[in-house]
Amino acid sequence: MAVRADDLPVPRGRPRLAGRVREWLDHESILGPVFVTPALLLLVLLVAYPFVMALYFSMSNAFIGRPSRWVGLHNFIALWDSDVFRQTFQNAFVFTSIAVAFKVVLGIILALLLNEQLWFKRMIRGAVLLPWVIPTALSTLGWWWMFNSLYSVVNWTGIALGIVDPPGPNWLGQRYYAMSAVIAVNVWRGLPFFAITILAGLVAIPKELYEAAEADGAGANARFWHVTLPLLRPVLAVVVLFSTIFTFGDFNIVYILTHGGPINATHLFATLSRQVGIDTGRIGEGAAISLYLFPLLVFVVWAQLRFVRKQVY
Amino acid sequence: MEPISRRRFLTTTAGGGLAGILATRVPPARGQQREISYLCWNNFAPASDKKLAEIGQRFTKDTGIKLKIDHVSHMGPQQQKYASEVQTQAGHDLVEMRMHFPWLYEPQLVDVSDVVGELEKKHGKAIGSAYEGAHVNGAWRAVPQYHGMFVATYREDLFKKASLKVPDTWDDLYTVGKELKKMGNPVGIPISQNYDSISTAGPVLWSFGGMEVDKDGKTVRINSPATVQTIEWYKKMFRDCMEPEVLSWSDASNNESIQQGKAGWIHNPVSAYIVAKQRKLITADGINHHRSLGGPHGRHETDTPRHIGIWKFSKNVEPAKEWIRYLLGTREVYDEYIMSGDAFNLPVYEKLQDHPVLRTDPKYAALRGEGVQYHTYGWPAPPSDKVQLITNTYLLPNMIAKAVTGTSPKDAIAWAETEMKKILAG
Repeated sequence: MAVRADDLPVPRGRPRLAGRVREWLDHESILGPVFVTPALLLLVLLVAYPFVMALYFSMSNAFIGRPSRWVGLHNFIALWDSDVFRQTFQNAFVFTSIAVAFKVVLGIILALLLNEQLWFKRMIRGAVLLPWVIPTALSTLGWWWMFNSLYSVVNWTGIALGIVDPPGPNWLGQRYYAMSAVIAVNVWRGLPFFAITILAGLVAIPKELYEAAEADGAGANARFWHVTLPLLRPVLAVVVLFSTIFTFGDFNIVYILTHGGPINATHLFATLSRQVGIDTGRIGEGAAISLYLFPLLVFVVWAQLRFVRKQVY
Repeated sequence: MEPISRRRFLTTTAGGGLAGILATRVPPARGQQREISYLCWNNFAPASDKKLAEIGQRFTKDTGIKLKIDHVSHMGPQQQKYASEVQTQAGHDLVEMRMHFPWLYEPQLVDVSDVVGELEKKHGKAIGSAYEGAHVNGAWRAVPQYHGMFVATYREDLFKKASLKVPDTWDDLYTVGKELKKMGNPVGIPISQNYDSISTAGPVLWSFGGMEVDKDGKTVRINSPATVQTIEWYKKMFRDCMEPEVLSWSDASNNESIQQGKAGWIHNPVSAYIVAKQRKLITADGINHHRSLGGPHGRHETDTPRHIGIWKFSKNVEPAKEWIRYLLGTREVYDEYIMSGDAFNLPVYEKLQDHPVLRTDPKYAALRGEGVQYHTYGWPAPPSDKVQLITNTYLLPNMIAKAVTGTSPKDAIAWAETEMKKILAG
């Protein structure tokens, strides 16, 4: 039977539109941007906008609630005249280099231990993550209590065991002790990130390589230096990269434990930036402090990613 | 007359009403929700916060204006709130400020001279420190609310046990401090990056005749023989009367030290005693206060006045002023509020200085007559945002901390002088 055009059902508006949309979404050139747009919007709103604002502030004489004007690189140059800033600059490098070094060494040791056949392996691996999971401000308050001159459980234990003379070290009031305290808490907090990531790298190393090395007479030490470590390098590079950036930008630990003291001995860029930008209202100068290391960190990121790419390909 | 249909009546009246609202840009009063929000800090006398909430509820009942009170802890978080509210031009209508903060935020605060004028007519002139803090370039940028002044807080029981004389000067304090340290109850004066450190360093410096910045507000005067004397006094106090822990202390540490039975003498408002009393600590009975200490150049003390400011971005300036008038303008309500502060919140108007709250406990006797002559940080320089910057950068305590930990007094003073000059020049 011949079908006349008039007999065909007339498609309604909605299904036709739905069909068209479906057709569009079949094209990769349209579907891709659709998927990426929400993430891009979030990035623009939450990362790019604050970053551009910070850049603008750092190049202005902005003071909270007052009109500001463009001053170019003046803030960055003038900061170098400040004794407190120079001290902070030095603190940041001391803090980051020592903390990251400890985290690398202890992280490898912890990962090697966790890679062994242990009882309650999963539970232990979960427990190791705790310092990283607990909100930093909360756990640092616990550390503050432990280092507090009046209540220090660390000193109390040391004195009770006869290891230290009363009243014990002035953890947060003496410059070297204070720096050691903030580094110790940073290492405690950052260690799980290192250990678990390195553990993932360790698990990925093929067993055959160890068997071959063993067959060639390599001992535990030789296997570590010639098999484990070289194959962990890409993972280590990424972990060190992230940790360096996070450690340079640390705020909570120093702010809660020492407030940057004693005599600015533990100030980092973030804590000094807060003191200058918020406490004294000079947000232009505060933004310049927080962005001071940005070019250096960009270089570190570039160099390390380049290194990782070379290792992988 | 032609009868008007129901539809026509509704259309005409609604159209006219809407046109009126659009023309005047003011919504009709009926049905309009009047609501204000007030940011204040957690008071050191916690009962005071409860009383504030209670008064707020009565205010809502009496005026129909809904009041939302938010609390934020201490100085750090409060400053972040100020900054973010000003930058975003959104947030609370009223903010509690202390010290010179109205100077820092002057362009953002409503002129409240009319309200202060009314209060001064009722309660007498605002005290000097309130003027220093909130009277900015000839206009009140915040309304003086209360003040908490520094006094000497000491363990009277320990003094009696060791037959120690209550000190009258900073040098007397050195004499008794040596004995207190030998007894295991050292003097507790913080030398660290906090406000209590400045609250002691300022009066000591003033008592020896020194100052940070001159009366002209432009000339740095920290490099003087008086500062050397101040530093020498701190050095001997640190060595013979205190423990190195004071270099790590926060604002709360000296309170905790005397409350927990360690410190024998601290320089603090009465909050240490109030909290010890409320928590029924065994040290509460032994704690007492004595009048502020003097030096060769007189008796000086720090005052930390609190004020209530109204942000210019607020859309509720008049209701906000109504709240301030309700809280501070009615003698009965203001008295009720002050009484709840248990002598931590003291009135800031001259006629109310001999307040009944000072007679609620014999241990507040030392506070009578004190405070009126006290000053805020940076005195005798006229208060300004720059003075607040010097304060907030902790230059004074850091200079002293440098000196007591080995830097020569000359170098420590030179460092502070350079930093202060930079701030004044900036």
